[in-house]
Amino acid sequence: MSKYLYVYSLSLQNVLQRRASLLMDRVGGLAAILALYFFWSALLGQDERFLGYSRAQMLSYVLAVSLLRSFAFTGRGWEVVGEIASGRISSYLLRPLSYQGYCLAQDFAQKTVHALAALLEIGALIYLLKAPLYVPTGAWTLPLFALAALLSSLIFFYMEFFISNLAFWTSQSGGPLFCFELFLQFAAGAFFPLDVLPHPLQAALRMTPFPYLVFFPVNIYLERVPPGEALRLLGLQAAWLLLVASAVQAFWKRGVRSYAAEGG
Amino acid sequence: MSKHFRIWLRMGAMSLSAQLSYGLGSVGFLLGKLIRLLFFFAFMVAIFRHAPSVAGYGLEETLLFFLTYNLVDIVTQIFFRGIYGARRAVQEGDLDYYLIQPCSPLLRMAASTVDFLDVTTVMPVIVLLAMNWQRLPVPIGPGQAAAYAFLVLNGIAIALAIHIVVAALAVRTQELENTIWLYRELMFLGRFPIDVYSAAMRWALVLFIPIGVMTSFPTKALLGTLETGPMLYAFGLSAFAMALSLKFWRGALAQYTSVSS
Repeated sequence: MSKYLYVYSLSLQNVLQRRASLLMDRVGGLAAILALYFFWSALLGQDERFLGYSRAQMLSYVLAVSLLRSFAFTGRGWEVVGEIASGRISSYLLRPLSYQGYCLAQDFAQKTVHALAALLEIGALIYLLKAPLYVPTGAWTLPLFALAALLSSLIFFYMEFFISNLAFWTSQSGGPLFCFELFLQFAAGAFFPLDVLPHPLQAALRMTPFPYLVFFPVNIYLERVPPGEALRLLGLQAAWLLLVASAVQAFWKRGVRSYAAEGG
Repeated sequence: MSKHFRIWLRMGAMSLSAQLSYGLGSVGFLLGKLIRLLFFFAFMVAIFRHAPSVAGYGLEETLLFFLTYNLVDIVTQIFFRGIYGARRAVQEGDLDYYLIQPCSPLLRMAASTVDFLDVTTVMPVIVLLAMNWQRLPVPIGPGQAAAYAFLVLNGIAIALAIHIVVAALAVRTQELENTIWLYRELMFLGRFPIDVYSAAMRWALVLFIPIGVMTSFPTKALLGTLETGPMLYAFGLSAFAMALSLKFWRGALAQYTSVSS
């Protein structure tokens, strides 16, 4: 376990060392949040409710998505693709550590920095824009949201890792990964709440793991689901995580077996 | 001029060959771009099933803003995608090679990748624009249509100026990725009408980060809500930005002492 803590620590230093890069990442990310915040604000106009969301809930949806994107949607997909395609992964396969554990430790270092930065940004936005923040009243809401966010980030990590493993068979896995990441953002509700979609489409999406990444966790925070339903959603999230992680193990084993160390 | 056009055609043909030989990768990137366009479009249509207007604009007008943003953004990607590889061109010594060739190094760098995937993406944008155009609630006169076309070109010219600055930064600093991706992410603000933003944001998007001029001004001109003053400002801004960016580029080349080769 301690070796993964070292990886975490080194990755944390690495992220923090590239401060200009981090700053530009955050400023760029703020653009999407500001655009969506002002769009919803204009859409609400003088109305106090939209699609069952109060004004505070709708604007908090955008801010909570910002936090979840920074915490859950970090991933190591592009690095994994690069390491497999270039053969650099060989050196990790020879070391006495799990490559997935190594990537996960690196990913959590990114999550730590980006989630803290997102919290600071949200605080600044609330102050500067005088944004009406929805503050949950239930004692269990924040712990349940935190758990949902953790499960969401693990599901995202394994889903992205799964697609990245295509690089074992083709040097063109960047395209599918790009496509997956864009589809995921819409299907997860990272741009718009899924409630705006027609009911059949919503029902279809609910049968996939995507809404468990953003839409359901944010709805737990906004207390739009009762505690019993929130627990059921967390159970389903855990089930999706198990399924995706198991699929990754099987896919990874097959990938490593077919790996020919091209470029390495 | 014809020499440069022939060079561009040749580079374009090479880019097309490369993209066709990258089958699965190209299909993935193309699908991703189409998903981004069509899902955003579908979400906007879905939102307007529950709301009559946003910042005073109905569905067709809001879609016009969104599609115009896409038109400016995608055409920019088609022609200036090569600038994304500027840092690599500098670090790997390709720029030295461009400099001894009898053509503009800027054109050579920009044309090193012509993104044909975006040619495919711009088609549905043009079709949707044409369909949406007929449903606009205000009659469109030839003057408004001409102003729209010129302001779209003006937006692309401002985008070109930004890309030239980014290329010059790559030559000066050998760092680039963050600058170009920062530009890409800031462009997100152009997806919606500039009127949804607060007064301070609107000023910033017109004066400092002219995304509003690039993406919202053409639509406002088409809808007949852009006055002559802002229109003249838009053309003046692009002329100033082009002159400044070219000066910056020439300054970067003058100080360039070769990096890698």
